[in-house]
Amino acid sequence: MDWLINLLPFSYTDSVVFIGAVILGVAAGVLGAFAVLRQRSLVGDALSHATLPGVCVAFIATGAKDASTLAVGAAVAGFIGAAMILAIERTGRIRPDAAIGVVLTSFFSLGIVLLTFLANFNNANQAGLDRYLFGQAAGLLESDLVAMGSLCAVSLLLVALAFRPLKTALFDMSFAGSVGLPVRLIELAMTAMLVIAIVIGVRTVGAILMVAMLVVPTVTARQLTSRLSLLLVIAGIVGAMVGSTGALISASATLPTGPTIVIVGFCVALMAILLAPRRGVLWRSGKLLRDRRRALNEGVLIDLETALHAGAPPTTEELATLSGRPASQVKKGLRDLDRAGALRTEQGRIHLTESGAGMVHALLHQRSLWSAWLEYGWTLDIPDAREPDPRDLKSSLGDDLTNTLLQRAREGGWTAS
Amino acid sequence: MDRVVSDDLAIILTAVLLGTACGLLGPFLILKRQVLLSDAVAHAVLPGIVLVFLLFGSRAPLAVIVGAGVFAVICVLGVELIRNTGLVHADAAIGLVFPVLFALGVIGVTEFAEGVHLDLDSTIYGEIAFTPFRTWEFFGLELARSLPLLGTVTLVNLVLLILFWKELKVTTFDPSFAKVNGISPTLVSRLLLIAVAVTAVTAFESVGAILVVTMLIVPAATSYLLTVRLLPMVVVSVLVAWVAAVGGYGSAVSLDASIGGAMGMVAAFCFLLALLFAPKYGFITRTIVRTRRRSLTAGPPPSVPEPAGRRSA
Amino acid sequence: MSAASELKAPALEVRRLTASYSSRPALWDVDAEFPESSLAAIVGPNGAGKSTLLKAIVGLQPVDAGHVLIDGKPASENLDRVAYVPQRDAVDWDFPITVKEVVEMGRYREAGWISRLGQRDHELVDQAIERVGMGPFARRQIGELSGGQRQRVFIARALAQEAPLMLLDEPFAGVDARTESALLDLLLSIRDGGRTVVVVHHDIGTVRSRFDWALLLNVRTVACGPVAESLSPDSLRRAYGGSAGGSDVELGEWTG
Repeated sequence: MDWLINLLPFSYTDSVVFIGAVILGVAAGVLGAFAVLRQRSLVGDALSHATLPGVCVAFIATGAKDASTLAVGAAVAGFIGAAMILAIERTGRIRPDAAIGVVLTSFFSLGIVLLTFLANFNNANQAGLDRYLFGQAAGLLESDLVAMGSLCAVSLLLVALAFRPLKTALFDMSFAGSVGLPVRLIELAMTAMLVIAIVIGVRTVGAILMVAMLVVPTVTARQLTSRLSLLLVIAGIVGAMVGSTGALISASATLPTGPTIVIVGFCVALMAILLAPRRGVLWRSGKLLRDRRRALNEGVLIDLETALHAGAPPTTEELATLSGRPASQVKKGLRDLDRAGALRTEQGRIHLTESGAGMVHALLHQRSLWSAWLEYGWTLDIPDAREPDPRDLKSSLGDDLTNTLLQRAREGGWTAS
Repeated sequence: MDRVVSDDLAIILTAVLLGTACGLLGPFLILKRQVLLSDAVAHAVLPGIVLVFLLFGSRAPLAVIVGAGVFAVICVLGVELIRNTGLVHADAAIGLVFPVLFALGVIGVTEFAEGVHLDLDSTIYGEIAFTPFRTWEFFGLELARSLPLLGTVTLVNLVLLILFWKELKVTTFDPSFAKVNGISPTLVSRLLLIAVAVTAVTAFESVGAILVVTMLIVPAATSYLLTVRLLPMVVVSVLVAWVAAVGGYGSAVSLDASIGGAMGMVAAFCFLLALLFAPKYGFITRTIVRTRRRSLTAGPPPSVPEPAGRRSA
Repeated sequence: MSAASELKAPALEVRRLTASYSSRPALWDVDAEFPESSLAAIVGPNGAGKSTLLKAIVGLQPVDAGHVLIDGKPASENLDRVAYVPQRDAVDWDFPITVKEVVEMGRYREAGWISRLGQRDHELVDQAIERVGMGPFARRQIGELSGGQRQRVFIARALAQEAPLMLLDEPFAGVDARTESALLDLLLSIRDGGRTVVVVHHDIGTVRSRFDWALLLNVRTVACGPVAESLSPDSLRRAYGGSAGGSDVELGEWTG
């Protein structure tokens, strides 16, 4: 570990914190994914609180203050907490969220009670609780890094080895059980991974903020990929980057480490949610606006065609009355259509241009196709699982099927295959 | 000057008032499945407290309550916004939002407010043992200030419950029916969570965040195992909170342990008893009924009241 | 009876309604009208948008285009004239309240925010409970009820609303034939009391034999009118194609 610490261009303490934050990020990112993807993120919150009594008991029992003894105590308590959550849920009436809440508060209360015993029995003081709640990265030692690092490495190795059963169970527990996978064991392993991630992280960011470290990397990675293997890798990288960036900022601005890391993480996750390509909020709201606009323009165009068909070219007001849309909407649609060169206005009355007529024709064709699909679609033998997109039936179904469909519609008869 | 109530009584009364305030709200959190959102809100108010302190240099209850209320709303809206993107599940949205707000609060405290009577310890896990020493004067009499504060909050919660009883009931049971009938479920939910935030922040300095959350969740969950109607559920929830308050104080004194922690432990113990022995939903009760029926009929599978929560989920 | 109802003004009118889930239309240019004092059904294959249509009518589903008229006025202004009965599994039946408390919810709109129910409200609630035959069960916790009884509770709640238009989403899902028939008798008697009852249903046989009016829906309106016309063999084929019981034998039975 020495060489690594020397390699980093920071002071000794900062280097230790930096490495600790990276290990925490990787562990929480990869191992936390299995909780977040099962929608059990807040179990992580409960378990990080639940480790407190474990730490206290380990301390009372052994009198040792070294990190690994306390970590074992934390892990045991975390496991018991996880088992309690499952047990409460399985007995029936209590729903998961309440079970998580009950275990969180009960274990934490027990922890506080034990902590007062500690304070009474020997010189340990409330500072211990502070450190526990908010983390104390500065207290990390080289030996802690070695322990955290090896724990992290071993669990990552296990994830890699058991990747396929984990993936199967993650997606569909009952299927995994039906093909003979040891479901209980896998569930146990997933819980163990969560507990390990918490035990590694809780010292650095504290019990209250730990849940963010579990959630941020997976939420970020999920926006960037849909493949589990890639997701785990990205989550690990995101976790490491968030941890290290947060540690650096906190060191240079002398801010508390845990909260700084969590704030950095939140910003990263938020960016991913907003900006992710093809999925992010910005992309989708843009698409929604375009879709709405398109629907409006098409609707107004059809209304206009109907009006022209029925009589003289209408004015904007007449068109609005006729179509039953608000006048502002009709105006907006007409403006777009005008810009596209579909309209010609003579003395306030609206006509279709040649290209406008072409657009109407295409639109009507598209609609009649969709009508034909709704009516005769079931008669088609579609060789694969392709499904029609109402706005572009031709390219979603393919030319052959579209032609057959049109033919069926023309025959209009009952030509069951 | 005389203290109106003895120190012991002040602590017990504070806890009983807190238990009442929380026990009234808890059942709706359980039924609306907003238990963890309430936990998040209780944490997320911290930056509100800090900000008020930084801006006005004050810990005046009303200003702090307003500041905390604002951040409670920010927390709830933030969770809703993120969840409504459809990109993040509700649990993860909660796990994203409240830690960041809490982290901002922690940074605010450590950077700007350290050493000026705004310490994290008392905010997060409080120390109910100190409540008798923080006093207000009323007409020459000294009174632990947590009593009038929590008394007001309890009263407000009670009035809210009485006024909005039918709105709370219908939006919790059938939100879409409520919406069609002009009672907005979002509005009612938000009102409830603001009440949670106000209760939490008022109780912080006397008992701390964790005991507030405990009192919100555990008595109501216990009551849910014992009752089948809403009004009894609320009443039993308050009663369990009282048992936790009084029993917790007693055991804390005899064991010389943290009072808040002991109250939490007693509440947890009540829950455990209900989980095992509740007449209708208790684990052991149900097992006994099942075995007895099985031995009686030895034929078709018994129709024991199954964990009905699952059926409709 | 259907001939008579044709003469009356429509109690519910849907004009060119389009609604979509993530840009795929669930309803497309749907036109429909339902005459006053009729028992009407909305029928159609799976994914035809039946429940979506009900939700759009009461404003629970955002609409892309088109409008809904209740008694000739925009639905959003006339929602107090509608009693909406959601699908049974939309609520938590483990909820700790009694039958009577659920039915009381039907009076909440009338009572308004904060104020309590008055004596008249309680009378109406009791009447509604008696009317659906749930009198002996009024104080039961709702979790103890059977599927049919739960549906009766929902219908009682709608009755207590005193709204002239009642919309029911799949009330017969998951109940046995005897219960279905009993519930239908109840709905018919409600119609005879002068209300318009619109039911999302999937059993074309029942609709043909016992309903007055039907909207046949498959994303678009396939047919809308008295059952004899709207559920003609031809329109049934156009809506269901070969997918739902499409063998000619069965179609014969429907039309028979």
